[in-house]
Amino acid sequence: MFIVNFLIRRLAQGVVIIFLVSFLIFTLLRVIPGDPVRLMAGGMAPDHVIDQIAEDMGLRDPIPVQFVRYMGGVLQGDLGQSFIRPASGAAVGGASFDDNTRSERAEVFDLIADTAPFTLQLALLAMAFALIVALPVGIYGGLRPGKWPDRLALYMGSLFISLPNFWLGIVLALVLSVNLGWLPAIGYQGFAYTILPAIVLAVEIAPFLIRSLTVSVAQNMRENYISVAAIRGIGHRRIVMAHALKNASVPLLNLLGVQFSMLLGGVLVVEFIFDYPGLGLLTINAVLQRDFPLIQGIAIVTSAAFVVINIIVDLAATTIDPRLEY
Amino acid sequence: MTNVSNIDVPAADNAQAQTIAQRVALGAWRSYEFRVGFFVFTAMVLLAIFWPMISSIDPLKINIRAKLTPPAFMGEGWSWTHPMGTDQLGRDMLMRSLVGLRYSLLIGLTTVVVMLAVGALVGLLAGYRGGLTDTILMRITDAQLSIPMIILAIAILGVARPTIPAIILVLGLSGWPVYARVMRSVVMAERKREFVRGATILGASDLRIMFLLLLPICLPPIAFVAVLDIARMMIFESVLGFLGLGVQPPTPTFGNIIADGRKYLVNAWWIATVPGIFLFLTLISLNLMGAALERSRNRVHGGEV
Repeated sequence: MFIVNFLIRRLAQGVVIIFLVSFLIFTLLRVIPGDPVRLMAGGMAPDHVIDQIAEDMGLRDPIPVQFVRYMGGVLQGDLGQSFIRPASGAAVGGASFDDNTRSERAEVFDLIADTAPFTLQLALLAMAFALIVALPVGIYGGLRPGKWPDRLALYMGSLFISLPNFWLGIVLALVLSVNLGWLPAIGYQGFAYTILPAIVLAVEIAPFLIRSLTVSVAQNMRENYISVAAIRGIGHRRIVMAHALKNASVPLLNLLGVQFSMLLGGVLVVEFIFDYPGLGLLTINAVLQRDFPLIQGIAIVTSAAFVVINIIVDLAATTIDPRLEY
Repeated sequence: MTNVSNIDVPAADNAQAQTIAQRVALGAWRSYEFRVGFFVFTAMVLLAIFWPMISSIDPLKINIRAKLTPPAFMGEGWSWTHPMGTDQLGRDMLMRSLVGLRYSLLIGLTTVVVMLAVGALVGLLAGYRGGLTDTILMRITDAQLSIPMIILAIAILGVARPTIPAIILVLGLSGWPVYARVMRSVVMAERKREFVRGATILGASDLRIMFLLLLPICLPPIAFVAVLDIARMMIFESVLGFLGLGVQPPTPTFGNIIADGRKYLVNAWWIATVPGIFLFLTLISLNLMGAALERSRNRVHGGEV
């Protein structure tokens, strides 16, 4: 019963958040100067054609009217159609206004659904890389506060967090793929293309994990239950692995929820550098092309992902540590 | 017994004489990392401020004859005129990087001030008032937190014209929620204490309690850790520049130099690398200082020292 209550409350809050996010983005996009119709129709289109198109698409209506219409569609699972992208592929933003070869415009939902798996794959691999590095460094640093493993954790964290991701991406691409030829870098033709972007992303995530682990492991090791465990005759190894680490993983999980947006920002830049066909590249292109429906769709999907991830994180945290209440 | 209390009282007085902020700063200064970071950072700032004033080289001046000169000792045709080499148009890389550093520092610092101001105000209000104010402010904070900051930033800057105030405002306004949350939790803990009740009984107004009693206590520990955010904002600024949404060329910034240099990566690796190294040195010095301050703060609040 507790679970059901919790889920209902959090989902209701989540809906409010998603609504606020979409309203904010929707309003911002329309308040800011720059006419998307001009981009759609091409620079050479006469004014009356532009007005005609804008009228047909309802872009000249008052903002609240447009918003209600849009949200009505969203509630039925319809995120609208991209302004610029045709269903068949390549963008035709610059084509002339009376070009008849233009095909149907792509559904925003399809565009997002097509690219999201790539981003998920990238994010998971990056998370795996980051954990491989952060777990040993962070745990060992937390076990010996003030000693060299702790220093190592501090220096490694400071070093990694100081590497701008786009610069690191360029340098790694130069060294690992141009000079050494070990890994492919640009585009996507197979799983190998995920590795280099994932490394760059992992370097960005790892310092946060290391810091959180060091602090929480060190904190837990000072608790009474750890000293008592030793008296109970439990081996040091088991105390660290089963007891301290279990409790130390709660802040780590929370971090994942809070830093989700940072992870997404990293994905954006990394995908742009490596021309990786995920959600991040789609977002950047959507912004540069003023593709309003696509930007809105992405904002709604990402804020929904944020809500869901935070609910899962909290559920997992209460499972690990039943003392927590949400 | 009298002896003991005579010794104890002055010692306790001494500890009281230093505010928490001073103890945190002193504790950080004692660490080796903080000092290294501090000296590197000071050196970079001084270089960025004074070198462009002293040197006669213009960061925008094109000199095709000297184009693609490698950095000193790094290949054929280098010269002391351009110790860090030149770019594809013969512009001096050292000067361009330093001008880039100026903008980066300026934007990084002011952005964090904006973030801190907005976040602290929202947190203070929500934490002190509680009730409905708290609920509304925190739901707005949650909503803002769930929009990936960078999407918001590029959405606005991509559509509007990216000027320096616009960049500062966008980055600052999208980064405050974390501060608001921390500030709120600190204020909520502090406002239940005796001195706040005492002040209320003495007839102090809410504004007075909030700004003269609570803010001076709650802000410094948060402000120290904001050093880490200066580094983060500098990275954001350069990311924006890299995407073409930062300060616009011909003004050199780290982002747009690196984006340019990327095209010449194979034959002139230094164009993209040199500004990256300057940025990296500044960032790591800031991060070392921030990490030392954070650890010192945790130690002070943990009751050690």
